[in-house]
Amino acid sequence: MTAIEIRNLSKSFGAVRAVDGVSFTVEAGSVTGYLGPNGAGKTTTLRSLLGLVTPDSGEALVNGKRYTAMATPLNEVGAVLEATNFHPGRTARNHLRLLCVAAGLPVTRADEALGQVGLAEAAGKRVGGFSLGMRQRLALASALLGEPKVYILDEPANGLDPAGIQWLRGFLRHLAHDRGAAVLVSSHVLSEVEQTVDNVVIIAGGRLVRQGTLAELTTNGEKTVRIRTVEGGDLGPALEKAGATVDRLDDGALRVHGLEPEEIGQIVLDQRVVLTEMAAERSDLQKVFLELTEER
Amino acid sequence: MIGLVRAELLKLSTTRLWWVMLLVTLLLIGVNLAFFIGFAGNPQGGLPALDTPEWVQFAWSAGSGGGIFVMILGVVMITSEFRYQTITGTFLTTPRRERVIAAKLFAGLIVGALFAVAVLIFTALVVIPTVMIAGGELSLGESRVPQISLGILASLALYTLFGIGLGALVRNQIAGIVGAVAWAYVIENIFLGVPALQVVGKWLPGGAARALMSIDVDTGMDANMLPAWGGALVLAGYAVVFAIVASATTVRRDIT
Repeated sequence: MTAIEIRNLSKSFGAVRAVDGVSFTVEAGSVTGYLGPNGAGKTTTLRSLLGLVTPDSGEALVNGKRYTAMATPLNEVGAVLEATNFHPGRTARNHLRLLCVAAGLPVTRADEALGQVGLAEAAGKRVGGFSLGMRQRLALASALLGEPKVYILDEPANGLDPAGIQWLRGFLRHLAHDRGAAVLVSSHVLSEVEQTVDNVVIIAGGRLVRQGTLAELTTNGEKTVRIRTVEGGDLGPALEKAGATVDRLDDGALRVHGLEPEEIGQIVLDQRVVLTEMAAERSDLQKVFLELTEER
Repeated sequence: MIGLVRAELLKLSTTRLWWVMLLVTLLLIGVNLAFFIGFAGNPQGGLPALDTPEWVQFAWSAGSGGGIFVMILGVVMITSEFRYQTITGTFLTTPRRERVIAAKLFAGLIVGALFAVAVLIFTALVVIPTVMIAGGELSLGESRVPQISLGILASLALYTLFGIGLGALVRNQIAGIVGAVAWAYVIENIFLGVPALQVVGKWLPGGAARALMSIDVDTGMDANMLPAWGGALVLAGYAVVFAIVASATTVRRDIT
């Protein structure tokens, strides 16, 4: 069964169309990155999925159900939203314990979850004194309480230090690949999730721009080749004649679009020009992401 | 549902607000009692002497002054969730929001009753020794102590309930507290003070709470006062109506 299913979801806030006809799915055992610049509609989508925001039209389902129809949601979905949802005067342990009590979970889960996210030492401290990174870990601990199989995380890397981000990557991969969970994680910083996700959904201006596997997205981008020749040997006209688009770079090199490396090699040979540099440039996710999102 | 009510009680017991409020409540009642003791038997103040059953009746009612504080506590029980955004976690755990509001109402009744018990114990600890030292004889029945105690219990429990209903309706903490205090001290007094408005005043929360405290004291002679059970119903009715209206409006709003 599809773990997360968003079907034609739309939501407006006043005149602003925050999410506009978005559809995608997340399968069990995979990490999906939900990417887009700030204000793209990521948070609204995730909050619709969690029953916090009522969509104008369309559906957002987890395990085939609306969140608001779940009897024991903490056992089905773990959610990490922005790390400000704590009473500053309450300790981390008590915060989790009262969620356990409300959800009918054993209170021992509170300390277990704190241990899992590396907060065992701070269990008895008031959240008011926590750093942003500690709050993010506490938010993650609350998602783990019911040991769900679906995780929805909104910008979980915010406020984490590099070591924390490294840890989070490993943790999310572990949840998906070892425990078979479905993980949907949003971010506006590609490099945060690039090494974690299996699939990518890109949204901009409330509309879905592109979706696919990480590999598909990175290789679908047009291949370019960067070449440099010895002075005086200008390959530009010959390459353009062969159908390429040529960018003249500031450092004297050429970036060639639309030709395979073998074709360029043949032209180099035909023109009898000495080559000092030739490298295939793979369009990386960051570039794809920026290109896709900036067009809108 | 029991889990939800327990969670609501835990929310209170794991933060500091409840004992600050209890301390302030007891402090105010203590000041009132000190005033009653100091001016007892003073003919100008109209206070009976310390060794009379009337004085005990008077002093025992001091606890009703805690109503305003439990009302604020009730307002905060719900508005602090919006203020600190803990409402997100609450609704993630219990997506059927009206269940959360119902659990808070139940928890509020319990908290209000516990406050009343604390207030009554405090009153007893002050009043009983005072009467003994003054050489008076304590007759609980004659001073209507059981009736007054019951009235305080009901009134504090229902005032907490009222605060929760009000808080759910306004969501904003400052607006809720200011509204509650302004209502209790300004608007209620206008309606209770102006004779022409007293007909309406008895149906307001304050008038209803006064009815709760009037058990047998005035033997129901006051036409501008509901019977005690009527007062209880009116006060509970406000809370329930507020909570239902809130569940259909403010509480259903998007949490963004």
